[in-house]
Amino acid sequence: MQDESGQAELDDAGLARRIAAAGARGHAAAEAELYRRLAPRVRLYGRKHLRDDHAAADLVQQVLLMTLEGLRAGRLREPDRLVSFVFGTCRMVVLELRRTHARRERLLGIYGGDAPVADPAVAPRLDHDRLQQCLEQLPERERSVLVMTFYEDAPARAVAGALGLSEGNVRVVRHRGLQRLRDCVYGREAGP
Amino acid sequence: MNRACASPITLATLAEYWLGELDAEREAELDEHLLGCGECSAALAGLAELAGGVRALVRAGAVRTVVTDAFLERLAAAGRKVREYRVPPGGSVNCTVAPDDDLLVSRLEAPLAGLEQVDVVLLDIPGKPYERLRDVPFDAKAGAVVVTERVDTLRAAPAGRVRVQLYAVRGEAERLLGEYTFNHAPWPGRG
Repeated sequence: MQDESGQAELDDAGLARRIAAAGARGHAAAEAELYRRLAPRVRLYGRKHLRDDHAAADLVQQVLLMTLEGLRAGRLREPDRLVSFVFGTCRMVVLELRRTHARRERLLGIYGGDAPVADPAVAPRLDHDRLQQCLEQLPERERSVLVMTFYEDAPARAVAGALGLSEGNVRVVRHRGLQRLRDCVYGREAGP
Repeated sequence: MNRACASPITLATLAEYWLGELDAEREAELDEHLLGCGECSAALAGLAELAGGVRALVRAGAVRTVVTDAFLERLAAAGRKVREYRVPPGGSVNCTVAPDDDLLVSRLEAPLAGLEQVDVVLLDIPGKPYERLRDVPFDAKAGAVVVTERVDTLRAAPAGRVRVQLYAVRGEAERLLGEYTFNHAPWPGRG
């Protein structure tokens, strides 16, 4: 009989050890808790490296399945190195998804599909009215830099030239604006 | 259990990471840290959410701000419908917003070379200023300040007139660069 409680008190490596110890029969509670923690992190990794929500959702499924299978089958010999394993798996799967995604994009280009992304795990939480108010309160230069940066996730060098600013200057303005915007939208206690 | 991070990643570094500005080695370090750290990962999720929110507001034409030609070209290339009104100093233009316009842009032409600071002032018809955009970014070579208007507000607005002034600012002194008049009318198809 599995201990169904106490998963939340364990760190990630502790959960990995518990899953590995259960072997092929699995440990549903520990696996569910590990999935709950890792899924949003792997999704972010996917959004960063694939710039596509569909592909990021595919990445989550594949990486976590491989991780849990690896733990059950004892392939992950050192559960303390869980993060390294997840990282390596993410890199490998991203390469594969880039290939399949390029194929999918070509097909969408041919057949003209543009289906909206429906992923309940990334359902919008942001209050857009609040964001709009906060954006309007920013000094003009910060608002411009944030709009031109985040409309297409453009690096400082892409924003700098046309604004007559240096890259370093854009980073400074961007950071100031981002901090102000985050404090306004989420409150001052938000994050580092 | 999400333990507090011993070495939290700063917001500035998270932004550099998200925007692909770090070298490969540093990016890989952060990839691994973020996969193992609930606290920093949550901070990055907040940043990504803000970025997506800003993008959604721009796509909805809900932001008034100053942009550049290069930015407008990328929007148009991405299929966004941009309606633009180009106005010389002292000029006026009849303007509207169509139902399928994504973005409405005022191009305020002025000699900008050598200027330190440019402010945009919006006035009502009696001539009373009601909004001032201070120290707007501008490309002196383009010879114009390019302002995106709020499409959502203008689409619902009745016929009316707005005056805009552009000022060169240096310390406490300011010099009028140009005045521009926009005669807005609702889209003719609107009941």
